[in-house]
Amino acid sequence: MLDYYWTMARTAIITQFQYRTANYFYMIGMIAEPVIYLVVWSTIATAQGGEVGGFTPGAFAAYYIVWTLVRNMNIVFTPYGWEWRIKRGELSAALLRPIHPLHQDLAYFGGWKLVVIVLWLPIAAILALIFQPTLNPTPLEIGVFAIAIWGAYLIRSMFLWLLGMITFWTTRVSALYELYFAVELLLSGRLVPMSLLPPWARDLALFMPFQWTFGFPIEALVGTLSTTELLTGLAIQVLWILIGLGLVQLVWRAGVRRYGAVGG
Amino acid sequence: MGMFRLMYHFFRIGAMNELQYRVNFWIQLLQSGVALAVGLISLALVFSHTTDLAGWSQTELLVVMGVHIMMGGLIGAVIQPNMLRLMEDIREGTLDFALTKPEDAQIMVSVREIRLWRLVDVILGAILLGTALVLLGDAIGPLQAAGFVVATIFGALMIYSFWIMLTSVAFWVVRVDEMLNLFEGIYAAGRWPVGIYPGWLRGLLTFLVPIAFAVTVPAEALTGRLSGATLGLAALLAIGLLGLSRLVWRIGLRQYGGASA
Amino acid sequence: MHTSAIHVNGLTKVYHVPERQAGLLAAMRSLVQRKVREVHAVENVSFSLAPGEIVGFLGPNGAGKTTTLKMLSGLLFPSGGEVSVLGHVPSRREAAYLKQITLVMGNRNQLQWDLPALDSFELQRAIYRIPTDQFQTTRDEFIEMMEVGDLVRKPVRNLSLGERMKMEIIGALLHRPQVLFLDEPTLGLDVTMQRRIRSFVADYNRRHGATVMLTSHYMADVEALCRRVIVIHHGKVLYDGALSGLVDRFAAYRQLGITLAEPADLGEYGEVVSAEGSKVVLRVPRAEASRITARLLANYALTDLTIEEPPIDDVIAQVFATEADQPAMSG
Repeated sequence: MLDYYWTMARTAIITQFQYRTANYFYMIGMIAEPVIYLVVWSTIATAQGGEVGGFTPGAFAAYYIVWTLVRNMNIVFTPYGWEWRIKRGELSAALLRPIHPLHQDLAYFGGWKLVVIVLWLPIAAILALIFQPTLNPTPLEIGVFAIAIWGAYLIRSMFLWLLGMITFWTTRVSALYELYFAVELLLSGRLVPMSLLPPWARDLALFMPFQWTFGFPIEALVGTLSTTELLTGLAIQVLWILIGLGLVQLVWRAGVRRYGAVGG
Repeated sequence: MGMFRLMYHFFRIGAMNELQYRVNFWIQLLQSGVALAVGLISLALVFSHTTDLAGWSQTELLVVMGVHIMMGGLIGAVIQPNMLRLMEDIREGTLDFALTKPEDAQIMVSVREIRLWRLVDVILGAILLGTALVLLGDAIGPLQAAGFVVATIFGALMIYSFWIMLTSVAFWVVRVDEMLNLFEGIYAAGRWPVGIYPGWLRGLLTFLVPIAFAVTVPAEALTGRLSGATLGLAALLAIGLLGLSRLVWRIGLRQYGGASA
Repeated sequence: MHTSAIHVNGLTKVYHVPERQAGLLAAMRSLVQRKVREVHAVENVSFSLAPGEIVGFLGPNGAGKTTTLKMLSGLLFPSGGEVSVLGHVPSRREAAYLKQITLVMGNRNQLQWDLPALDSFELQRAIYRIPTDQFQTTRDEFIEMMEVGDLVRKPVRNLSLGERMKMEIIGALLHRPQVLFLDEPTLGLDVTMQRRIRSFVADYNRRHGATVMLTSHYMADVEALCRRVIVIHHGKVLYDGALSGLVDRFAAYRQLGITLAEPADLGEYGEVVSAEGSKVVLRVPRAEASRITARLLANYALTDLTIEEPPIDDVIAQVFATEADQPAMSG
């Protein structure tokens, strides 16, 4: 299995490295979003006398620069792609292989992430030069961050797989996806750090996987989480991975049964 | 006036095509509704921590948001689909069909497509704008209304010119799809008044990608911030960009002829 | 069934297709109350393939060929009947089963588009867990047989359609499957490529004793590879037997090549296809061929007489033109 993961990841790395220009354009296009948030919140922090909700402009800069890497770790096979996957016969091809197709996605996108991380470094350096982040991570924080971004990747892979598999039953799901992404945007720490949300929203987010894919990895590096909080965070990530995995298995089995009944 | 006749006919056909898929209207309405809700929540979040943003109140920012959504709908319904089709035609070499028609080629490629349901955003944006103006309570004089209309037209023309130039790059560099993402990312910056951005970014949003003129300036017209000088600059820039885009398009077209021969 | 590689009994596949009506109102109504139509894609199909056999699976588009192949390879669940391939029930999709089969579709591509085919082969090795030395031997053997040694290092996107298909087939057979389902493997290829792929399949079958089910629009493929054919139409088996028997069974006419001692008009005996001096080609109904031959021999002085079968393509076309509700033939 390890051999499979490595071979698939290597395939992704070679392929995506060939498309490094396209990858770069894509990554640069994504910078606009955090820069907008950063500017808005820095403006407010400055106007409020230097900080808002414990964040100084420098802290916001650190948050939203690390954000760009975490956002890239959050990119997995899109649920919109499932329709195409079924139409093009890719799903049939995957079903003929003696290996669960989830492994294929995890390995391929995992390999791609390695390329993305390398391409991201110069972008982060330029952003840091412009926005002057305040960032003093401890070795533990760096370690937890390095693990947590992969935890985030796995959690989001599972949940977007779940969304995508709805395509087995109906293809008119774009509005549902948009709704999901909207809730995710608001409650994950992508739009604003979790601590700036109203308390009731933070309580709501406790029952959802979103903050463990976005806010937690960022705050692990730039925040002031205690050692207990850092390690508990990793444990909760594992929990969400397992929940996601269980749900994926359940829906996948039903989905394949459905696919076998109606055809591709 | 041949241009408007042509636009009308393409519009009619496009609309008739889209009316076949009415379900898409509901899907678009839902999606636009979700996007609007996210926008309003973001705004509420910001103003739960402050009472003004670079001199703009929450209600005034609703005006900016309304204009932003309207302009976004217009771009998505008319400008973007035509430019995407143009990129594809250049890449596939199928532009010949448009070039052999007895009409001006630039006008031809600019009016062929319409995504009717994206106009939902124009309506939604207008409703938001109207609501915000009522909340503001200030009477809008005919001068301000005229300023808004004129500024919006200039802004739309600038965005259109920008897109034509961007798409014309496809004559030289075949893969320009990625630039699309770039534009969408940058357009999102228009949700906030460009005054909040640091100087270099403001310059970029004003002169390179003219979002300042497309969104912020019309909103300024409605909130009593617009000066005659800004409007004059907008007019100059609109005409200049339009001329420049026509030039770039012409040169690019020559490239196309050379490539297919 | 221990003696057969593939055993199919009473196989049936029924699709439930929702009927759509135009208009928003009808669309809304259909959300609550759905009108469903049953489509019998495959109906009560039975056959067996012995290990090592190559069988041509023929039928027009929509006859149920691909549906049957998909059920055999485990992609579709049968609505009824039994399928057993190498002792496995395909729809269970056990890894042990999937490792022994392959499905090649002429219009599909499984190779990594931007990478050399060698990298895709490497991926197949990892997926099927092929031991390294076996993998290398098989790969090099296949590359030599297909004569693609200089192409495996080029990105797949730079290969021609035929070259790509060669790579596709190599990749699909690297794990040395025992059962091959080939769905139009030569679609759109030129004659040389078709011939190369044909001989590759024949070679593989001979060396590894694999069982092959092949569909193709090119009768040359079928004639070169298959002694036995199964003809399916409207989801039912029309014919299952020797390829040569197909002609006997379905050819509606025969052609008589006649050389007369002196020219004569033979129009009353059948349709004159061509007449050049004393050489005449006559087309006559199959059932009457021998009676007409006898009459010709009695009435004219003939220097030569041949009875020819019509081309197989014409016969196949003929089969599909006949109604499917004839009883299935076994031969």
